[in-house]
Amino acid sequence: MAQTIDRTKPPETPPIPAYKMPPIHETKLPNGLTVVLVEDPRFPLVTVRLSFQAGSKFDPKELPGLSGMVAGLLTQGTKTRSFRDIGEELASIGGSLDGHSSPDVLTVGGNVLAENLPKLLELLADVALNASFPENEVQLRKQNRKQALLAQHSQPAFLASEKFDELVFGDHPYRYIAPTMESIDRMDQKSMFEFHDSHLVPNNAVLVMLGKLPARNATLNLVREKFGSWKEGPAPAPPAKDFAASKKQIVLLDRPGSVQADIHIGRLAVTRTDPDYFPLFVGNAILGGGASSRLFNDVREEKGFAYDVHSELDRRKDAGVALAVTQVRNDVVGPAMDAVLGHLERIGNAPVTAAELTDAKNYMSGVFLISLETQSGLADQVDLMKSMGLPDDYLEKFTAHVRSVEPDQIQAAAKKYFAPDQATIVVVGDASKIGKPLEKFGTVQVEKAK
Amino acid sequence: MRYLFVSLILLCAVVQAAQTVIPIEKYSLKNGLRVILSRDNAVPVVSVYIMYDVGARAEEKGRTGFAHLFEHMMFEGSAHAPKGTHFKLIQANGGTMNGQTHPDYTDYFETLPANKLAVGLWLESDRMRSLNITAENLANQKEAVKQERRLRFDSQPYSTAIVDRWPELAYQNWQNSHSLIGSFEDLNAASVEDVAKFFKTYYAPDNAVLVLVGDIQIPEAKKLIETYFGDIPSQPKPRTPDLAEPSPKPRSDIYHDALAKVPGVVIGYPGPARNSPDYFAITMIDVLFTAGPSSRFQLDLVKGKQSVIQYQADLGWPFTNSVDYKDPADYAMFLLYKPNFTGDQIVQQVQDEIAKIQNDGVDAKELERARTLLRSERITALQSSFQRAKLLATYEVLDGKPEYINQELDKLLAVTPAQIQAAAKHYLTPERRSVLQIAVGPKPQPSSSGAAKGDN
Repeated sequence: MAQTIDRTKPPETPPIPAYKMPPIHETKLPNGLTVVLVEDPRFPLVTVRLSFQAGSKFDPKELPGLSGMVAGLLTQGTKTRSFRDIGEELASIGGSLDGHSSPDVLTVGGNVLAENLPKLLELLADVALNASFPENEVQLRKQNRKQALLAQHSQPAFLASEKFDELVFGDHPYRYIAPTMESIDRMDQKSMFEFHDSHLVPNNAVLVMLGKLPARNATLNLVREKFGSWKEGPAPAPPAKDFAASKKQIVLLDRPGSVQADIHIGRLAVTRTDPDYFPLFVGNAILGGGASSRLFNDVREEKGFAYDVHSELDRRKDAGVALAVTQVRNDVVGPAMDAVLGHLERIGNAPVTAAELTDAKNYMSGVFLISLETQSGLADQVDLMKSMGLPDDYLEKFTAHVRSVEPDQIQAAAKKYFAPDQATIVVVGDASKIGKPLEKFGTVQVEKAK
Repeated sequence: MRYLFVSLILLCAVVQAAQTVIPIEKYSLKNGLRVILSRDNAVPVVSVYIMYDVGARAEEKGRTGFAHLFEHMMFEGSAHAPKGTHFKLIQANGGTMNGQTHPDYTDYFETLPANKLAVGLWLESDRMRSLNITAENLANQKEAVKQERRLRFDSQPYSTAIVDRWPELAYQNWQNSHSLIGSFEDLNAASVEDVAKFFKTYYAPDNAVLVLVGDIQIPEAKKLIETYFGDIPSQPKPRTPDLAEPSPKPRSDIYHDALAKVPGVVIGYPGPARNSPDYFAITMIDVLFTAGPSSRFQLDLVKGKQSVIQYQADLGWPFTNSVDYKDPADYAMFLLYKPNFTGDQIVQQVQDEIAKIQNDGVDAKELERARTLLRSERITALQSSFQRAKLLATYEVLDGKPEYINQELDKLLAVTPAQIQAAAKHYLTPERRSVLQIAVGPKPQPSSSGAAKGDN
């Protein structure tokens, strides 16, 4: 009976198991609101997300950050409820509701004890439809956002991302990852009402409800009762997809006293719907997507230059970016840059090995499976599919797409999007310590950090 | 028989709807390794979680940061899984993994597709049995830890104040007050012999708990565990560090943070014994103060006085929360505030909030809201197999009772207004308070130091 297991070798295990996603039921109300229901009775909770095509790319030119401010203020008062009323009613049902804004989407959502779903929907409808942007709350939010922005500007990673996006996205509104002090000053109740009234219309929204839901009909009746009378309106068009061609540039943001340099290297790449996407996605995993990636093994484990070194894809609806990120101590900036640039070059010059490819595919398939364990993980995936305009079978076919990628496809995509000849390089650090070693990589433009 | 019992509990859970019950099976191997199994086949995923009963508070003088340095060494390879194998094998099998050093324990964990369970067990057992301890690996990981320190602490506003200066101020016993991330000097001094001794002393099966949560078959899991861990030799029980603190007294200091742009303040009060009635009462006070948009700090300080911008608070902040809190430690909080207020004013405003509880207690409606919110938050936190595994291991290592995962919430919900008022009166007083003000900008020159406080 006792089976012998050879403990000197890694155990043989079967392939990653298949998993059927819970069914996604989608319908549309007469006013254009898309409703997506997913039954997930594992825990007595419901997760709710109401997402609008109203992210920060829709901000007026002179008001970067407006979408984010509107999102945050939705829950700060309505025509009939004060901030305190909303907070107390949420607590009394074991619920949460928060608004936030990404580059593409404005979302207000939260979760609740399943038995209190009707009340959460009532509150959600109230904040989405009837937000009143009370003058005192607007003023307080402006003051606090400015202090938070100051605090963000004391973080080198934030400074690097802010400058990097500004350079890579050019004149497109994607260039802003945060408001500016000036734009916050210019925001007022009027601009918030205007943004709210034009963008937060039902035909511009998707309502995702996931968890231990009542019976299908009862749930839909509840949605109709709370959202049925909401009036549709013309949904504003997104800004034109005008992106400047990527070009080589190096900017050093001087932050005197920094003990290390924060380095971002990257360029425009592709969106999730591009044929190059899955090859680039798997290629990214091999290059710098985890603790067995090339960047991690070489720059951290072999050379000991960095604690964090990775590559990533910033995947927005209208554009994508491929970039490598690391933070290294001042005295190894030159060799660390050489090493990272070398890997960005190499992955486009030779095919990845069969073992690298198999491992990366398994990794991406497994991580996807693990992400489905929680309601918020599952809701993220469903939300992503709906609000990024992806095909309805995107999640069903995700693993198959990953599995189908070939080495030559990775090499071609990497050559186009990881090769650093047209990369934007942003370094945040002490110019007196790291200015010199950077010069060998090209003309360095030095700017003062905020 | 066990199965039937478990499924009956699950059936009850469905009927009650409000209560979520986590099934638990606990046993020990002959070598003393405690094992906790919890089956849940909703998604074909399993979490493998090992908690060792040693943390940074067990470090010795001259070896600050050693527990964390050692945690790094655990990823440097073992007899049959050479350096690099751990990361590579977990990811190649579709899993995620990490390890973390805490004040009182160190944990290592993998979440994998369920049929890859053996891979996680093989890796964890191989390093528990036969860690590779070499001078080369040690030198390499000293550099990695230093780089981690530069990245996560030395380059970040508030971090040095919080992880280095705050414990020095709040605690008098060196075991509690020393830097848990460690000094470069102490990291440099660590030797291969230190690493080997620490491994033998603390990383023995009888000083660890192994938890599996997820889509497992119990008999098969037990067989695998016995195969991989059964013959790892046990070791003498290590000495537990003496963490006792002398009687609290008020303390305060100012830390000048060259990287900070917004002023902050840390406030702490020595907390109650874990699992005492006061422990549950202080946890409820924390909920009243900070949980959700109708919390007292939000309504009174952020909205009312418009002084505070952000806050966080916890039992054992910044290193633990009420779940993995182990006394002695402070109920502590960190607040960022607007520059038109002084740190002293913020401290007073917080003390006034405490005084309201001490004098007026808490009304039934507010307490009922806090209870409901807490119930929802605790259920939400049970969703991932990793979180459940961590909770089960925490209750086992700190209390010897993994079943607390199903009982803690009821104890918290039973806390009465009188208990809350009494705990506030006893624990949250200025006489027991430590205050660390974090001032914006570098330390002023001696000639202008008198103005420094006014600049807050």
